[in-house]
Amino acid sequence: MQGTEHSDFDIRDYLRTDLFPHFMCPGCGHGIALRALLWALHELDISMNNLALVSGIGCSGRTAAYVDTNTMHVTHGRPLAFATGLKLARPDLEVVVITGDGDCLAIGGNHLIHACRRNLDMTCVMLNNEVYGMTGGQVSPTTSNDRFTTTTPLGNHEPVFDACELATAAGASLVGREITLQTPSLKDLFKTALSHRGFSFVEVISDCTEIYGRKNDLGNSTEMILKQKSGIRPESYGNAVEHPFRPGDWKTGILTRVERPEYGDSYRQHIATKQRAVKTVTK
Amino acid sequence: MNSPLQSTVVAERRHSAPGESTAATNVLVVGVGGQGVIMISKVIALLCQQHRLQVKQSEVHGMAKRGGVVFSHVRFGEQVYSPTIPAGEADVVLALEWAEGLRWLKYLNPETGTFIVDTQQIVPPFACRNRKPGGLPGYDQLTVDQIRTRLPGILALDASGAATELGNPKAANTVLLGALSTALEFPAEGWQELIAGAVPARTVEINRQAFNMGREWALHPPTEAPRLDKSPPPASVQTLERSVHLEITDAWCKGCDICVKTCPERCLVLNAHQVVEITDPGACTGCRMCEWLCPDFAIRLHSSIPEPE
Ligand SMILES: Cc1ncc(C[n+]2csc(CCOP(=O)(O)OP(=O)(O)O)c2C)c(N)n1
Ligand code: SF4
Ligand code: SF4
Ligand code: SF4
Ligand SMILES: [Mg+2]
Repeated sequence: MQGTEHSDFDIRDYLRTDLFPHFMCPGCGHGIALRALLWALHELDISMNNLALVSGIGCSGRTAAYVDTNTMHVTHGRPLAFATGLKLARPDLEVVVITGDGDCLAIGGNHLIHACRRNLDMTCVMLNNEVYGMTGGQVSPTTSNDRFTTTTPLGNHEPVFDACELATAAGASLVGREITLQTPSLKDLFKTALSHRGFSFVEVISDCTEIYGRKNDLGNSTEMILKQKSGIRPESYGNAVEHPFRPGDWKTGILTRVERPEYGDSYRQHIATKQRAVKTVTK
Repeated sequence: MNSPLQSTVVAERRHSAPGESTAATNVLVVGVGGQGVIMISKVIALLCQQHRLQVKQSEVHGMAKRGGVVFSHVRFGEQVYSPTIPAGEADVVLALEWAEGLRWLKYLNPETGTFIVDTQQIVPPFACRNRKPGGLPGYDQLTVDQIRTRLPGILALDASGAATELGNPKAANTVLLGALSTALEFPAEGWQELIAGAVPARTVEINRQAFNMGREWALHPPTEAPRLDKSPPPASVQTLERSVHLEITDAWCKGCDICVKTCPERCLVLNAHQVVEITDPGACTGCRMCEWLCPDFAIRLHSSIPEPE
C-alpha cells in the first residue's frame, strides 16, 4: 500500500460530471447525503451497472439525476411504487429510492406504508429538511412546530410525523436515522441498510438552507449544519445543547432491525407453488 | 517602565542595603493541578513563622483544575514587602513537573539560584495540538544534561518514581520538600513535624520516608542524572510522513462557507470571488472534514500514507 491513495473513493467517478455544478442552493444538505450514499455503495463495491436509483420530485429527488447509473426520475410521491415494480421484475438489481419528506410522507405516504408492509428488499433514503424545498417552502408533515413556511405564515401548528416510528409501525425491517453532519456515520448507516435483506428505511436529517433556513432565521449554512447536533437526543449523541434547533429531539443510529420474510422471495415461492398446483389440476 | 511591581522592588532593594542581612529569601514552587504545590508552600510558610520570620505567599491555582498550571511565590526574611518574586531573583525554583520547571526558569537567580525539579513529565492536551500523524507534541524537548550545562547545580530527581516505589505517588511533593530542606537553613526536624500535620493521618509514615529519601538524595546526589520518564515515540510513528494535497474544483464551489468554518485547522478561506482557497497547505492535516461536508463535491483530498512497518 506504500504511497497509494489513503481513500480511493473519488465521488466524481460516480457522477455525470457534465451536469455540474448541480442545481442545489449553497449549503444545501442534500449534496452531503448523496456523497454518503455513493461512498457506501463504493465501499460495498456495488457496481453502477447493477444499481437502480429511483427518485421522486423535489430537490431531494433531483439529486439522483446526477449519478451516473440507472436512474428513474418518476412522478411526485411514487418512487416507491415504481421501485416495487422494478424490484419484482428485476430482483438482481440493487434498488435504492431517494425521496424527500414531502415526496415520501405527504403525497407518497400511502406508498411508504405499503412498501414497509411488504418488506421488499430495497433501500429507501428520505432526505428530511422539514419543508417542500423545491416548490418554494410549503409546510410538510415533518415541519417542526411554530416554524414559518409559505403555507404557515403564523407558524406550523400541526403535529409532526416521526417518519422512523411510522416506518417501524408499518413493518419496515430496518429503520435508522442520521444527520448529515456525521457523514462517516451516515455512510455506515447506509452500508447497513444496503446490506440488509428486506425493506430498509433511512431518514437523513438534512438542511434546506436557502428557503427554510432563511425564512426561520436559522443562521447560515455552517450554523445550520452544526446545530443538527442539538436536535439529537443525549443518549445517542453526547452533548445536548440547551436550545434545540429541532425541538423534536431525534434519536439517531439503527432504530429498528427485525427478521421478516422478504416479499420478493415469498412472492416468487408463492407463485411457483400456485402454478404447480394449477398445472397438476389441468393435467 | 513604571509598573507598581517595579517600584515595590526598588523600595525593597533600598531597604535591604548592603551589610544588612534583611534581603528576602525567595522560593518559587511550580507544578500542575493536583500535585501538591500549595501544600509545599504552606509548609514553608508555617516553618518560617515558627522561626519568627516574616513570610508572604501568593499563589495562582484558580484555573488549575487537575492538570492546569499552578504556581506559588513564597518570600521570607526579617522584613518582606512584596508578595511576588521578580524574574531572576528566586533563590530556589522548586518544580513538580519537568516542563513547568523549564517554563519558570527565568525566575531563578542565574548566579546563586538552586533548581530542584521532578523529572516526571505530564504532557498536557494543549501540547498535542499537532494533529498530523506522527506529529511531535509541543512539549519541551530539553534534557536534564542540556540544562546542567547552564545550571551545574541542578537537582533533578525522579521524585514521582521514588514516591511510587514507597507506595504513594502523591508523596512526590514530600520527596521534593526533602531535597528543598537542604537548600534552606532550617533544621530537618521542623520540616518533618509540619509535614506530619499537613498530610492525611494514614500517610504520615510514607511522607516521613519520602522526606528522608529526598533529603538524602540531595545531600549525596548520584552522579548519573535520572532519565526523563517520557520514552521517545516509536520509530515507526516518528518517521511517518503523510503528503496531503487538496484539489479544489473552483467551478463547483458555491461559497457556502461550510468547509471554511468547520476546518479544524482553519486553513481555508473564501477568496474575492467567493470561491474556497487553501491559505496554508502545510497546516492541513488531511482530516477530510471539508471533503465530507462540501455539499457541492468541490473538494477532493489526495493523501498518501506509507504503511507503518
Ligand atoms: C403531483 C404533483 N403534485 C405537486 C407537485 C409539486 N411539487 C414538486 S416538489 C414538491 C414537494 C417536494 O418536497 P420534498 O419531497 O420534501 O422535497 P425537497 O424539495 O424538500 O427536497 C411538490 C409539492 C408535483 N410536482 N407533482
Ligand atoms: S430549496 Fe432548499 S432543499 Fe432545495 S436546493 Fe435549495 S436549499 Fe436545498
Ligand atoms: S482536510 Fe480539509 S478540513 Fe481537514 S485540515 Fe485539511 S483543509 Fe482543513
Ligand atoms: S463547502 Fe464546498 S461549496 Fe461550500 S465553500 Fe467549501 S468548497 Fe465551496
Ligand atoms: Mg423536503
